[in-house]
Amino acid sequence: MLLGTAPQSLDPGLDYTTQGSEFNWVVYTGLTTYSHASGAAGGQLIPGLCSALPTISNGGKTYSCTLRKGLVFSNGKPVKASDFAYTVERAIKIPWGGSGSFITPIIAGASQYAAGKAKSISGITTNDATGKITINLTAPYGPFDNVLAFPSLGLIPSGFPMKVEATSPPSGDGPYMITNIVPNQSFTAVRNPHWAAQNIPGIPAGHVTVNVKISSNLQANALAVLNNSADIFDWADTIPGSLLGQIQSQAASRFKMVNLGGSTYYIFLNVTEKPFSSQLAREAVVTGLNQDAMSRLGSGTLEPACYFLPPAVPGHPTAPCPYGTPGLGNLAKAKQLVKQSGMEGQPVTVWSETRSPRQQWMTYYTQFLNQIGFKATQKVIADATYFTTIGQAKSVHPQTGFADWNQDFPNPVDFYGPLLDGNSILPTNNENFGQTNDPYINAQVKKLGSTPTTQLSSVVSQWQALDEYVARKAYVAVFGYQKFPFFASNRLNYGALVFQPIYGWDITSFALK
Amino acid sequence: MLRFVVRRMLVMVALLIVISMFTFAMFVLLLPNGNPAALLAGRLATPAEIHLISVRYGFDKPIYIQYIDTMKNIFTGQAYSYQSSFNVLDEIRAGMPATLSLAIGAGLIWLLVSILFGTIAAVRAGKYADRVLTVLSMIGVSMPPFFFGAILIYYVAYKANIIPIGGYVPFSQSVGGWFGHLVAPWITLSILFIGFYSRVLRSSILDSINEDYVRTARAKGLSERQVLIRHSLRNSLIPIISLWGLDFAQVIGGGAILTETVYNLHGVGELARDSIGRLDTITLMEIVILTGIAVVVIGAIVDVLVAYLDPRIRLA
Repeated sequence: MLLGTAPQSLDPGLDYTTQGSEFNWVVYTGLTTYSHASGAAGGQLIPGLCSALPTISNGGKTYSCTLRKGLVFSNGKPVKASDFAYTVERAIKIPWGGSGSFITPIIAGASQYAAGKAKSISGITTNDATGKITINLTAPYGPFDNVLAFPSLGLIPSGFPMKVEATSPPSGDGPYMITNIVPNQSFTAVRNPHWAAQNIPGIPAGHVTVNVKISSNLQANALAVLNNSADIFDWADTIPGSLLGQIQSQAASRFKMVNLGGSTYYIFLNVTEKPFSSQLAREAVVTGLNQDAMSRLGSGTLEPACYFLPPAVPGHPTAPCPYGTPGLGNLAKAKQLVKQSGMEGQPVTVWSETRSPRQQWMTYYTQFLNQIGFKATQKVIADATYFTTIGQAKSVHPQTGFADWNQDFPNPVDFYGPLLDGNSILPTNNENFGQTNDPYINAQVKKLGSTPTTQLSSVVSQWQALDEYVARKAYVAVFGYQKFPFFASNRLNYGALVFQPIYGWDITSFALK
Repeated sequence: MLRFVVRRMLVMVALLIVISMFTFAMFVLLLPNGNPAALLAGRLATPAEIHLISVRYGFDKPIYIQYIDTMKNIFTGQAYSYQSSFNVLDEIRAGMPATLSLAIGAGLIWLLVSILFGTIAAVRAGKYADRVLTVLSMIGVSMPPFFFGAILIYYVAYKANIIPIGGYVPFSQSVGGWFGHLVAPWITLSILFIGFYSRVLRSSILDSINEDYVRTARAKGLSERQVLIRHSLRNSLIPIISLWGLDFAQVIGGGAILTETVYNLHGVGELARDSIGRLDTITLMEIVILTGIAVVVIGAIVDVLVAYLDPRIRLA
C-alpha cells in the first residue's frame, strides 16, 4: 500500500490526521466504533469494546457502558475499565489534536486535569471488577457517542508512557497492530493474534498483512498500482490529472472516484467587513461561481454543490439550490447583483494555500471577483501556516478565501459548531473564518447540537432547514464535495473492498483473489 | 599537515555555529505568524494546549536559551521532530543509506563520464564529436531531474518494465534490487552534472594547452597522449575535483531533493523537503548542520587531493 503523505503519528495519543486514522481505527477500538461498511451504512455507530452503545442519562450529561468480557490487548494483557480513564488522560497530556474540542471542554473535570489542577479526571469513573465506565459531561453534547469512537480514545494499557512513542506505539485492542515503523518510510499492519477469539460482532479480523510505504511521488504511486507492482493507492491522495484518463480506461474494473459525502470545500465570506457584509454581494459570488471550471482545475475531484452539509451527514438538504443549479454559474446575474449591492470596485483580498489545486481554485476565484466588479488580489500562504494565519480573526481578519472541512464524525454539529456558530468565534485559531454570528444559527446549533447521535433522525428536518437557511443567506460559497480515488491492483478482490465513509480504506477488507 | 587539519576543524566549527544560528533565526524568529506552538497545536487547539506545547518545547524561554537547548539536543541525539515526534537522528539514519548510495554511485558516474566527455571534446575541439558532446551537455544542463525522472519512470519503468517504479532496496537486503532501484536515479542526477562538468573541463584543457609547462613537455619529446594525461589533464582536473567535492557533499547533505523525491528514495533530501513543508524546524536544522559538516569535511579531503595533483598548492 502506498501512502503519499505519512501519518502524523501511529501513536493514537498524538495523531489527528486522515492517514493515521485510516490505520489507527482498526488498531485502537474505542468504546464505540463504526460499521465496517461502504456508503451511508459505514457511518452507523456500533458498540466497540463496550457490550452495547452507551446509555445516556441525566439529561444527556451522563454516558455509561460496560466493557465486554475477556478483552485483551494485542500484547496479551487484559483490558480494564480504568484503561479508558488513562487513555483520555494521556490524550490530554500529549496533547491529541482533537482534545481541545472534544475532551477538555466536554468531559467534566477534564479542563482541571489539563490545567494540572487535578490528578485525574473527575468526570470519569470506572470499575475494573465489573468493567463499568461512567462519563459525566459538563453539558449535554449530542455527538459524544461519536467522540468515544475516535481512534485516539481507543483503549491503551494503563501505565504506557505519557509521551509520544513514535516508533513503538502502545498496544491496542483491534483487528490489527502496527509493527516495523521506519520513520517517514514504512510500517506494517499485521493481524492481531488475540482478536478473533474476542468475538466482537461487526468488526472483521482482516485477511492479510499490509505493508505500507510512504511514497510522495503520486505519479509513480499511480503507475505502480496500474501495473500491479503495488496494491493500493491511498484514498486521501490525488491521482495526477495526466494519468486519470489512462487509469479510467485501463483499470476501469478496479478504480472509481467516490464522494464519501463527509467533506465540503467552500469559500468563506467575512460578513463583518465590506463587501461581504452585504448579502447581495455574497449572493453574487454564489450565483456566478463556475463550479464546472473549478472541477476541471481539480482533475474532476469535485462534485458540484451548494449546501454546507455534505451528503453523508444527516441534515443534508434535498431541496433545489436557492441560486440555481451549481455548474456554469450565471456571470451576468452576478455582475448585476454586485451593482445592486453598491459594492462595485471594493477591494478584496483572497486567501489561499499553495498546494494544488487549492491555489488554482483561488486564482480562478480572484479572477472571477474581478470579472463581476470587485478589485480582488490573491494572497498565498504556506500550507503549514494557512489555517492558523486566517484563524487570527482579530489581527488578520481575512475577507475571503479557501476553506474546507472533513467530518470528524457524521453529525451536523461537527460542521456547524466550529464553523458557523457565532459562539465559536475566537481571537486565535478561529475556524469561523467568515465570522458568521447569526442569532438563528446560534440558537439552532445550541438546541439541535445536544441531540444524541442515536436520535439524530428526530431532528434531521430541522438541520435541513438550517442548512437551507445558510444557503439562502449565502454565508459561505460552497463549491463542491470532494471525490476520492479508490484504486487497487488486480491482485485484490476489488468487489469485496470496503470504502468506509469516515476512514476511507477499510484494511480489514483487503483480501487477495 | 597537522596545522592544516586543526585550521580546517576550527573553520568547520565556526561555520557550523554560523549556519545553525542562521537556520535557527530563519525558522524560529522569522516563522510566519510567530508562535510555533500554535502551529504545532493545529487548527482546533485551545490556548491551554498551545501553552502546554510551548512549555514542552521550551518556546516560552528566551531565544538564546532556546538556541542553546536546541543545539544541545541536536548534538546529543535527543532532538525530536516537532511534528511527528520521531527522533531526528533516527530519521536521518533511516534516510542516509539511500542518500549515500545515490551520492556515491551518481558521484562516480558524473565524475568519470564528465572527464571522458570533457577530454574528448577538448581533443576534438571544433570537430564533429565536440559539437555532438556540446549539444548533449546543453541538454544535460537544461534537463530538470523531475522531468527526466518522470520520463524514465513512465517509459523505462512502467512501459518497458526494465527497472522498478521508484523506491529503494537496501544493499544488505538485495544487491540486485539495490542496483536496479538506483540505476535510474544515478543517471538522472548525473546527467545534470555531466553536462556542466564536461564543459568546464573542456575549457580548462583548452586553456592549459598553450601553457608553458605543456610546451615544455612537448619540447621534451613526450607523445601527445602523455602530454594530455600527465600534464594538461592533471592540471585541468583541479577545478573539477574542487567542484565535485562541494557537489558530492551537498548531495550527501540532502541536496538531491528532486531526484530523491521523484524516485521515492526516502533519503535525507526527501526528509529535508518534508521538513520544509511542515516547517519542522528542528529536523531541518539537523539536516542543514549535517550538510555543513559534509561540505567542510569533504572540502578538506578535496584540498588534500588538489595539493597532490598540483604540488604548487601548499596545504599550509
